[in-house]
Amino acid sequence: MGSKPKKQDYEASEEEKVSASVAKANYDFFKQNYAPLLKDMRDQSMSDDNRRALRGRASADTMQALTSEPTYMKTQNVEGTGDLSQALGGQLGVADKSALGIKNKAASNVLGVARGQAADAASGMAKASRLATSDALTRARNKLAVKNARNAAIGKVAGATIGGAFEKFAPDSNLGKFSKEFFEALPSQVGG
Amino acid sequence: MERYFDVRGRLGEAAYAGQQTNAGLPVVSDPQKTFAGITRGEYEDYVKDYRDFELKQIERATTDTSLIDSAREDSKVAGRIAGEVAGRNVSRYGAQLTPAQLQQQQRGLQRATTLGSIQSLSDSRIAQREANQALLSDLINIGQDLNRSSQSQLGNAAADASARKQAYDSAKAQSKAQTYSTAGSLASAAIIAAFLV
Repeated sequence: MGSKPKKQDYEASEEEKVSASVAKANYDFFKQNYAPLLKDMRDQSMSDDNRRALRGRASADTMQALTSEPTYMKTQNVEGTGDLSQALGGQLGVADKSALGIKNKAASNVLGVARGQAADAASGMAKASRLATSDALTRARNKLAVKNARNAAIGKVAGATIGGAFEKFAPDSNLGKFSKEFFEALPSQVGG
Repeated sequence: MERYFDVRGRLGEAAYAGQQTNAGLPVVSDPQKTFAGITRGEYEDYVKDYRDFELKQIERATTDTSLIDSAREDSKVAGRIAGEVAGRNVSRYGAQLTPAQLQQQQRGLQRATTLGSIQSLSDSRIAQREANQALLSDLINIGQDLNRSSQSQLGNAAADASARKQAYDSAKAQSKAQTYSTAGSLASAAIIAAFLV
């Protein structure tokens, strides 16, 4: 008979505990310091700050290029006004296009990271459930082994009782000899 | 839940932050529970902080007309600004335009504004389509990654469930066989004993 298994023999080693602690500390650090930054990026991606800045720059560039050196001659150029109007409209359109590109890219980057975290979480959950399944199967196998051992023990006890009775009350009879041999062989069958 | 202040001094809550060791490391007494808690928390954080944002982006990628609306508005504003700039310059130099020049300038500005508007609207329609498609394809890529990993995880869950069922069926069969074997042995012993008495 072996001794009962000791729970402490199955506890995590010191390095496993430290590894789990470091992983948890890193996770907490990430959640405290990086997760808020991602939320800031999300909010920034929804704002119009970039658009305003780019449109201001486009407008300034256009005016700088077309109106920075006014002359009397230019006042007489009746087509110049139309050119300025077209140029300004075009540059504002370019600025809007760039701003929307930046906004969309920022939004999809934020979502990619957020979804990546959620996907990591889901994959973590799958791992956790696999661990739980593995535990459940081990528990079930252990229970079955205990049940089998219990059945075997019952068989042994019952056999020993019947055999003992024959041996006691009719030790020299054929039945007594047979029962002794029979019940000696029985435990090896029922014990699996 | 443990409250904390992040590097920017904002108050937040750390999920599953347990007691601290001397080295400042948290104690993880039940890694499985901690792991499950973190993964659940991550999903809940996503739903709380990013689900609406994601739905807005999907809607924007399919319905956004901001560039076109803006181009329509800008062409009018640009015409007005150009007219005002011309007026200020004429005033600055004390110049006079003849009625014919003024008329020509107005016509030129109107023509340029109209043509510019048409050009801008045409450009902005193309740019809008490009921007929306780029955003949509980014979103679809994100969604596809998610779809792939979700199916893989569901496959794992199904395999686990199947393994559990097989193990249970096998255990039931083994247990029944064991019981019959024990009962049979005892019964045969009893019958033989009865014949020999």
